[in-house]
Amino acid sequence: MSTAPTFIRPADLDGVTAALSDGDALIVGGGTMVVPELTHGRIRPSALVDLGRAGLAGVTTAAGTTVVGAMTTYTELEHSAVPLLATMAHGITGGPQIRHRGTVGGSASYANPSSDVPACLVALDARLLLAWAGGVREVAAADFFLGAFRTVREPDEVLAAITVPDVTTFGYVKFKLVEGSWPIVTAATVVRADSLRVVLGGAAPVPAAVTLDLPSAGTADPAWRDHVRTAVTEGIEIAGGPWDDVLAPGEYRARIAPVIAARSVARALDEESR
Amino acid sequence: MTAAATGIGSSPRRRDGAELLTGRATFLDDHRPEGMLHAVVVRSEVAHGRIRSIDTTAAESAPGVALVLTGEQAARHAGPVPYFIDPAARGGNRADLRCLAVGKVTHAGQPVAAVVARTRHEAHDAADLVRVDYEVLPHVLDAEAALAQDAPRLYEDWPGNVVMHNRYGTGDPDARLAEADTVVSGEIRIARTTTAPMEPRGYLASWHGDTLTVHASCQNPHQLRWMLATTLGVDEGRIRIVTAKVGGSFGLKMQGHPEETLVALLSRLAGAPVKWVEDRREALLAGAREQTHRFRVGAMADGRIVALVDEIVADIGALTAQAGWAMPNMSATTLPSGYAIPDCRIELDIVVTNKPPLAAARGFGKDAAHFVMERAVDLVARDLGLDPAEVRRRNFVPSDAFPYRTSTGLNIDSGDFEGLLDKTLDAVDHPGVRRRQAELRERGRYLGVGLGFELTPESSDSPGTFVSGFDTTTVRMSVTGMVTVLTGVTSPGGGNDTGIAQIVAAELGVPLAWVELVQGDTDRCPNGFGNFSGRSMVVGGGSATLAARDVRAKLLAVAARLLDTDDVELRDGVATGGGRELPVPEVARALLTRAFAIGDIEPVLESTRAYKPGNIDHVPDEFGRIQPYPTYSSSLHAAVVDVDAETGKVTLVDYVMAHDCGTMINPSLVEGQARGAVTMGLGSALSERLRFDADGRLATDRFKSYLLPRAGDVPLLRMVHQVTPSPFTMHGNKGAGEAGVGGAQAAVANAVEDALAPLGVTVRGVPLTPPAVLALIDEARKGSS
Repeated sequence: MSTAPTFIRPADLDGVTAALSDGDALIVGGGTMVVPELTHGRIRPSALVDLGRAGLAGVTTAAGTTVVGAMTTYTELEHSAVPLLATMAHGITGGPQIRHRGTVGGSASYANPSSDVPACLVALDARLLLAWAGGVREVAAADFFLGAFRTVREPDEVLAAITVPDVTTFGYVKFKLVEGSWPIVTAATVVRADSLRVVLGGAAPVPAAVTLDLPSAGTADPAWRDHVRTAVTEGIEIAGGPWDDVLAPGEYRARIAPVIAARSVARALDEESR
Repeated sequence: MTAAATGIGSSPRRRDGAELLTGRATFLDDHRPEGMLHAVVVRSEVAHGRIRSIDTTAAESAPGVALVLTGEQAARHAGPVPYFIDPAARGGNRADLRCLAVGKVTHAGQPVAAVVARTRHEAHDAADLVRVDYEVLPHVLDAEAALAQDAPRLYEDWPGNVVMHNRYGTGDPDARLAEADTVVSGEIRIARTTTAPMEPRGYLASWHGDTLTVHASCQNPHQLRWMLATTLGVDEGRIRIVTAKVGGSFGLKMQGHPEETLVALLSRLAGAPVKWVEDRREALLAGAREQTHRFRVGAMADGRIVALVDEIVADIGALTAQAGWAMPNMSATTLPSGYAIPDCRIELDIVVTNKPPLAAARGFGKDAAHFVMERAVDLVARDLGLDPAEVRRRNFVPSDAFPYRTSTGLNIDSGDFEGLLDKTLDAVDHPGVRRRQAELRERGRYLGVGLGFELTPESSDSPGTFVSGFDTTTVRMSVTGMVTVLTGVTSPGGGNDTGIAQIVAAELGVPLAWVELVQGDTDRCPNGFGNFSGRSMVVGGGSATLAARDVRAKLLAVAARLLDTDDVELRDGVATGGGRELPVPEVARALLTRAFAIGDIEPVLESTRAYKPGNIDHVPDEFGRIQPYPTYSSSLHAAVVDVDAETGKVTLVDYVMAHDCGTMINPSLVEGQARGAVTMGLGSALSERLRFDADGRLATDRFKSYLLPRAGDVPLLRMVHQVTPSPFTMHGNKGAGEAGVGGAQAAVANAVEDALAPLGVTVRGVPLTPPAVLALIDEARKGSS
């Protein structure tokens, strides 16, 4: 027999970690994933911890590093100057309602392979700050995601903030079937001195990171495209193989991932307007 | 000050627009009578199985539960649901279908039990506690597989899984194919999609003694009353159906669904009002279309098509008492569309599978005929190296040939198909698109333009079924001059009430604001048939016209006496004659308060009339053909698409629809309908698809997996109108509720094939999702290597 879950809305981070200390609670960020699941009775948690008033929202920048609170919404990101994340937030599906509710921390913690956020965080070499009643620890984004809907976060921990290094040159391309679809493949490119870091979302259970050579003869160059195909295919395998769901089969994602990767490189290198 | 135009052909704002836009309209779920309980349906988890037992003990003792009902219990109180269209009446196989499964389930999602509780949440929780033990039977999810001799049988007393096999057409297509300069053939698969109205279905039943009131989000209140009287064994006069505002129907809300009988029964057994509102997952169970066509078309070198042979296998899922199962018949008989091809043979198998049933859906199967025919025409053009537009021109039924009887029996009332073609090519700037296409191809980009013609039979009549081709309206003027129109047609949300009010206001010469419309109440409205088949303005408008003319004649007679002249005019609420003016309300008051002084004019300002349009003929001709439709709208669609050959994604660049539904009563409402139908077609052409897992359970059960087009996916749909009045309807109007689905599918498919012509791609079905398009490109590359 189901009973209504206990609802806790702590006023600060300490309150959150205290509420999580017995490890049974479900964390609600913006609620865009949790609330529909609750509505349809697909999950029946014993306790809900709402982060809405815990003071975890907002973006601060100091000494070339930006700290993004976990409860920062897509709308706030969109109007911030956080590299890549602002661009990503602008294209989040669902319109103003979703962008006003959905949070960067919620999306990272949910670890949906089809979401925009995880691959962008990995591309930025972001660091994720996990808090628990006994302290905090910091995890590199690349180590945070374990599998589809699985992260290193322990049940008594909460993702409190995300540290983003300063990145100036990047490109982001998202491929969707139609407006209303989850992203099928995303590619975030960060340009480094002598190489490119491209991280693909949607292609595999966790973000697939690859390092690419700079395209000396442009991104349309067939030889460079072959290089991208090889590197991306390998990256997807390392990330757990192609992700497959009702929207698109894995073979399709694997097929277009190099295309989307090349397009994000083109955008990062300003081959077309960003 | 002159009022905005409100007459026939003008577009006054919808009468209920403000109410709808400000959220004040009352929909089914807004009705909450005191003491109301909530029902939740327990649905089969298996696609095919025998029910061994149902354990309701835990559910019955759950908090708030008033009642748990199983199929066996329900069968003691309610009979089988009468068919909207009985397959037996058309020589097919039937089965008794009940509101809750008895003995056996034939699809996942079939209602097997129901729970009534104080709140919806309590009912949901208790429904989860109902334990159904199934003996799982082998299931079949594919119609071709269901045709095999050893396929699992859904209905054991049938010889197979075929509801009916029909053959349509005249002439000798085999001989014509043998003589043809070329024969093109193809196989086309139209995937299963759904209608997805904004408001799902819902019913609220309340008994007062032995009198039943049902508030319903439905299309056909009178038929629903008739149906409930039959299933529940209640005198029809003791049942009242009220259809409040409806948030979209598209055919889904024609009756025959198990929950209609179920909710009425639950309310009787619970002794309280009971409401059930479908959730989105339940709404997405309803299929709208799924067919495979194998066709051969013979053509001469000049592009003249001389023969069509098409074999259709239609997958209707499990059988339904709703009208949905019958749609494939119209796929067959709408061929060969508006083309003069006397030699046709269309073979149709309507097949059951262990998927949820089809529910009626806008297009009603005609969309499949348009899609297949338009693909065939493009393939002929491609084969002969001719312009697809010219092949259409050469084969259209010419404008001077109407009424024209098609090979499958339809008698097209009127049209100017070449006119539509010219208007479409002009509006889309066909030569300009071709120039841009050439330029872009140089740069490795793929732009394409495709055409889709559509002939849309509307306002159908089917003797002995719930499908009637006439309707009835009462027009009543009160002593204050206010007008009440009570009509048997209902509005699914499209606004036909505004159109009917315009007609009545115009006939009576009174302001539109004086006219009140009453629809969807079986206690108030005359006998009628509600909303389907683009009938509302044809027969609702037609009967309203006849009734309004009776009242008008009476007003004129009275005014003539009061003004002492025979030459009276009614306009803007004023009777004018002999140089004097008299407000219409004074004329009404004179008749209704001074009847004896007025003299020998019967003091009633009210008339009830039925309207039967012409052109319907149910007497089979020498070839066995019947003619169930009075009017045939026509439209020509042009889609311009950009195809990303690296990802397979199709982007709509431009869209033109040249539309001819005869006289338009309210052009803005017509365009609203057309845009909706086109968008439905675009969705089914590009992104929508109901998918099932291997066990027959719906995988696309929400809008994140069932992908409807959103505003950003659809370009401005440009409308061009042509008016070819029907000679068989009151105002020359033709049905305007459905045209667009098949035309849009065809235009998009033809445009994609045109875009990818350099790669030699052949389109074989819809939806053309990015993975599907990429697969077509691969197939073409393999074929050419």
